Amino acid sequence: MVQLVPQLLRQQLAELAANDERIDGRSRWQGRDVELEVDILYNAEGSAKVVMGDTIVYVGVKFDTAAPYSDRPTSGSLMTGAELRPVAHRKYEPGPPSPESIELGRVVDRGIRESGCMDMESLCIVPGESVWRVMIDLHVLSDGGNIFDACATAAIAALRTATVPAKRFDVGEDFKLELKSTPVMCSFTRVGGRYVYDANEAEELGGDERVHITLGDEGHLHSLQKGLKGVLMPEEFAEILAQAGVRCAELRELIYSKEA
Amino acid sequence: MGGYGDIKLLNDDGTRLDGRAVDEMRPVEIKAGVLPVADGSAWVKHGLNVAVAAVYGPMEAHPRKIQRQDRAVIDVRYNMAPFSTSDRIRPGFNRRSREISKVTAEALESVVLVERYPRSKIRVEIEILAAEAGTRCVGITAASVALADAGIPMRDMIVGVASGKIEGVVVLDLDKAEDNYGQADLPMGILPNTGEMAFLQMDGDLSVEEYNLACEYNYKAASEIHELMKQALLDSASRGDA
Repeated sequence: MVQLVPQLLRQQLAELAANDERIDGRSRWQGRDVELEVDILYNAEGSAKVVMGDTIVYVGVKFDTAAPYSDRPTSGSLMTGAELRPVAHRKYEPGPPSPESIELGRVVDRGIRESGCMDMESLCIVPGESVWRVMIDLHVLSDGGNIFDACATAAIAALRTATVPAKRFDVGEDFKLELKSTPVMCSFTRVGGRYVYDANEAEELGGDERVHITLGDEGHLHSLQKGLKGVLMPEEFAEILAQAGVRCAELRELIYSKEA
Repeated sequence: MGGYGDIKLLNDDGTRLDGRAVDEMRPVEIKAGVLPVADGSAWVKHGLNVAVAAVYGPMEAHPRKIQRQDRAVIDVRYNMAPFSTSDRIRPGFNRRSREISKVTAEALESVVLVERYPRSKIRVEIEILAAEAGTRCVGITAASVALADAGIPMRDMIVGVASGKIEGVVVLDLDKAEDNYGQADLPMGILPNTGEMAFLQMDGDLSVEEYNLACEYNYKAASEIHELMKQALLDSASRGDA
């Protein structure tokens, strides 16, 4: 579908930015309210739903067993898939995974994987023969902007509630998936010439490039991604990185608050 | 419908394993207007099944070759989320989801006033988030509520319901074990106001008498679910976001 990016919208966003305002009345670094529910889907071993404004995503975690990679015979594996299905917006078409959905899955995957939050060795069943494979599926139901943060938040929350279904696979008793840390993503979009946190649908439509930052518990960077056409200066990055530190800590508290 | 051997599905007192009577359906919850960016939407929980439907349109039908000069086409996609089943399913269409999408589209075309929107397309997206037997019926119910929520004119809504047979006894609304080990399954899409059937499938083994009883159960359940569908639309309209 042709996206008619209205010049009028770009102009309006630029005028708002000049007065340090946003189209929905938020301040520059203010996010939309985040609703998080965990452990909500009956067949998923871990699940979460995140609502951020008009954005709604579900994430499910499933497990199966597989042979390990030959260079890591005692290490489990992780796979993150995302689908931007036509349910989520009229702009999405059916068909094989789009470059956008692949980027989404891979960026969320990197944040989780590179933070080292999962002890892959604890997912070994028989060294060299059989290990657990953790599969995270990101399912966007409504794209109202910033699906990256919604998916990343739901993904780590779902993982933190996940139970490895060992009994069903006849390899011992079920056990909680252990996570050593909680990587959290924050995304910024250039709107009207300056970066804002948590862009909504209109801001994405009339905005430019976006930057995704995943931070670990200690504030260390675990994944970065610049998406879409556009360039930024190191000073601009320093500014959004400082904001990301604040916001990631808040999201992490929200995730912790849902755990028993 | 395997009917595999000795799996016991009925208790000694004639109730089912989950305690339901033979003519009792699983609890059903329905909400309309759940997806902000869609033109219409619905969420249906039926037992442990969870289905979400979104409607987009009517919009221009493209590519052009799918256009009909005298009516709208209804483009249905029934999709099971990878985490909706016990074993993860690979994303993407398969033969089962294609067939369900096709018959669901045909059922909906029989109730939507498609002749009002020549050369256009109405997209209906059904996403199954959790599956516990009977998802095609739950999907049809959700799609009907989503179409109504989108304000698309219809002769009637369609209620998806199923009955079946376990251990030789006709029962309403099979759950997962009953579906896996039962002897028959009769899913129907019923128009509650006219009593017509817009969707009909069956597999297994039913005598004519058993079919008649299963059919009776389905109609009874359809009128119960229909009340919930109407209430969901009223609630959504009164929230003002429909």
